[in-house]
Amino acid sequence: MIQIENLVKRYGGLVALDHLNLNVKEGEIFGLLGPNGSGKTTAINCMLALLKYDKGIIKIFGEEMSPDNYDIKKQIGIVLQNVAVFDELTVYENIDYFCGLYVKDKKERRKLVEEAIQFVGLEEYTKMRPKKLSGGLLRRLNIACGIAHKPRLIILDEPTVAVDPQSRNRILEGIQKLNREGSTIIYTSHYMEEVEQICTRIAIMDHGRSIAVGTKEELKSMIKTGETVTIEAAVLDMEQLKNIRLLPHVFDVKYEEQVLTVRCTGGKHNLIRILNHLQEEGISFGRVFSELPTLNDVFLEITGKELRD
Amino acid sequence: MTVFKAYMKIIKQNRGLIIMYLAIFMLITIMIQSVTKTQESDGYKAQSVKIGFVDEDGGALAKGLEEYLGKFHQIIPMEADKDELQENLFYRNIEYIVRIPSGFEKKSLQENEKVSVTKVPGSYTSFYVDQQINDFLNNVKTYYAAEYTVAEAVKAVMEKEGPEVKMLDTNGNAGEAPGYAYYYRFIPYLLLSILCYVLGNILSAFHKGDIPKRMQASAVSGRRQNMEALLAAMVLGIALLGICIVVSILLYGKPLVQSGGLMYYLLNSLTMLFVALSISYMVGLLTHNTSALNGIVNTISLGMCFLCGVFVPLDIMSKGVKTVAQFLPVYWYEKANDRISEFGNITGTVRIEILQAIGIQLVFAVAIVSISIVAVKKKRG
Repeated sequence: MIQIENLVKRYGGLVALDHLNLNVKEGEIFGLLGPNGSGKTTAINCMLALLKYDKGIIKIFGEEMSPDNYDIKKQIGIVLQNVAVFDELTVYENIDYFCGLYVKDKKERRKLVEEAIQFVGLEEYTKMRPKKLSGGLLRRLNIACGIAHKPRLIILDEPTVAVDPQSRNRILEGIQKLNREGSTIIYTSHYMEEVEQICTRIAIMDHGRSIAVGTKEELKSMIKTGETVTIEAAVLDMEQLKNIRLLPHVFDVKYEEQVLTVRCTGGKHNLIRILNHLQEEGISFGRVFSELPTLNDVFLEITGKELRD
Repeated sequence: MTVFKAYMKIIKQNRGLIIMYLAIFMLITIMIQSVTKTQESDGYKAQSVKIGFVDEDGGALAKGLEEYLGKFHQIIPMEADKDELQENLFYRNIEYIVRIPSGFEKKSLQENEKVSVTKVPGSYTSFYVDQQINDFLNNVKTYYAAEYTVAEAVKAVMEKEGPEVKMLDTNGNAGEAPGYAYYYRFIPYLLLSILCYVLGNILSAFHKGDIPKRMQASAVSGRRQNMEALLAAMVLGIALLGICIVVSILLYGKPLVQSGGLMYYLLNSLTMLFVALSISYMVGLLTHNTSALNGIVNTISLGMCFLCGVFVPLDIMSKGVKTVAQFLPVYWYEKANDRISEFGNITGTVRIEILQAIGIQLVFAVAIVSISIVAVKKKRG
C-alpha cells in the first residue's frame, strides 16, 4: 500500500531522513517506533506531501504521492500530534467541517459525522466547544476529525501524548476497531508498550533510518536477550558473581545496590536454574522478577541506548 | 463550500462586536459632524465693534470717516483723555480707538498721514476695522485726486456701494462640507477595526497549531480553500459597506443621492474596503495570538486614522505629518474624499485627482497582500 524508497530529507545541515525505506501492506497496523527526533513525524509529513524531500520515492496505493494528488488524499485520514481543531466551533461542527473537506454530500456527511461521534464516544459533548473538553476528550475529538470520512489509510502521529490511561485505552481499542473495519493504519509513537499492544508490524527508527522492521516477535528474536531475571539479593562477592556468569545461557550479570540482574539468551528454565544455584551457594534472596525482552531491549541492543534517551 | 461556511460561522460568532462597532461608528460620526458644523458657522459670523472716536480735527474727512464706520460699528465719541481712553479699553467698554489729530485732513490727503488707532491686542475683529478705515481713506484720496472737493469725495464714497463678492459654491453647500462628507470620512476606521479584528481572528484560528497541516493534507486544494476564504471575507466586507451606504442614504437622503459625488464616494469606499481586507489579511497571517491581535488592530486602525485625516481633517494637519501620511493608504482615501466633498460636480482635473488617489489605494492593497504572502512563505521556510 505504501512504498518508501531511499527517502532523504535535510534541514540545512541536519539529515532528518537518511535513505529511509519502508513498505506498508494493506490491512496492517504499522508502527513507527523511535525516540523523539528520530524522524517519525518528518516521514509522516513527507508521506502526506506536507514537506518537500530531497531524494527518494513515495508511492501510496501504487501512485506517486504529490501535493496535488487529491485522489490519494481523499483516501487518507490524519490525526496529528498536536490537537488541530477550531476553538470557535462546537464538537459536532468541527467533525462536520473536517469531514466536509472530503465528503460533499450533506446527507452522507451527517451519517458519517454521527458515526464518528459514536465511535469516539463524544455523544454527550456534541454542542460543547473544545476549550471545555478535558485533554482526553480533546484527543478523541482530534481523532474523530481525522477518521470521520472513513479513509482507507489512517495516519496517526503520536495520538496519545498527554492522555490519561482511560482515554489512552479507549483510543488504542478504537484504532484496532478501525483496522478491523478495513482501514490500514500507520501509527507513530515513542511509547513501546502501545506499539507492542496494537501494531501488527513495527519499524524501529533512529537518526532518520529504519534500523529494524518486523513483527514484535521477529524483532525480539533479532536480539541476544531472551529473558532478564532480576533478583533482590543480599551481599554477593566477586566469586559468587563469577559463578553465576558461568551458568548456561547467562551472558550478562550486573549487581548494583543489592539488585542482581541476569540477562539470558532464549533457553528454557533460566529462572529455576538461577534460583537453584543461589540456594546451593547459600545466598539468601528476596523478590524475584522475570521479564521477556521488550522493544526497548531491541532498541537498546541495536543502538546501544535506551528508547527514551 | 466547507471553508466558506466555517468562515461564516466564525463571523456569526463575532456579530456582537460588529454591531457594537457599527453603533459606535454611527454615534461618533453624527456627534463629530454636529460639533464641527457649529464651530465653522461661528467662524464666519459678522461682528460689530465698539469704537471710541476722538475727533480733534473736526474736518469733513474726519466727520465722513466717523459716519462711514458708524454704518458697521457702534461709534462712541470721546474726549482726547489718554487715561480715560485706556481705562475704557481695559474694561472692554470699547475695543478700538480712532484718534483724528488736528490738521489730519490736510496731512492725510497731501502727506499720506495715517490715522492713529489703538486696539485690543489679538482681537481678530479689529482687522476688519483697519481694513475699512484704509478702504475709506484710499477711496477719498482717489476722488480727491480726480479734483473732487473733500466733501464731494466723502459723499461719493458714502454713496458708493461696496463690491458684491460672490463666493464660488463648488459643492452646492455654501462652502461648507456636506454632512455625508463627514460620514464617509470615518468609514476607514470602521472598516479597518471590524475587518482586521474579525478576519484577523478567523485567519489566526485557521493558522493555529496543526490546522494548516490538516487543511493541506485534505482533499480540497489550497487554491479552492483560499478562494472560499476570500469570498467569505468579501461577503463580510461588502455587507459592512452596504450597511454603511444604506445608513448614509437614510440619514442624508436626497442631497446625497442627487449629488454628483455619490458614485465617487461609493468607488472610494469600495477601494478602501479592499485596502482594509488586505491589511486584515496581513494581520491575520502574522498574528496568531488573540490578545496581541487586539493591540495590533487598535494600533493600526487608530494610528492610521489619526495620521491620515480621519479624526483630524487633512487641512489643519502639519506638512510633516502629511508627508508621513502619504505612505499610508488611508491618506489617499481621505484626499479623494476631501476632493469629492469640495466639488459637487466632478469633472476634468478633479476627477483625475480622485481617480489617482483611488488607484494609489489599490496599489497599496496589492502591495500589502504580496508582502503578506512573501512573509508567510518565508516563515514556512
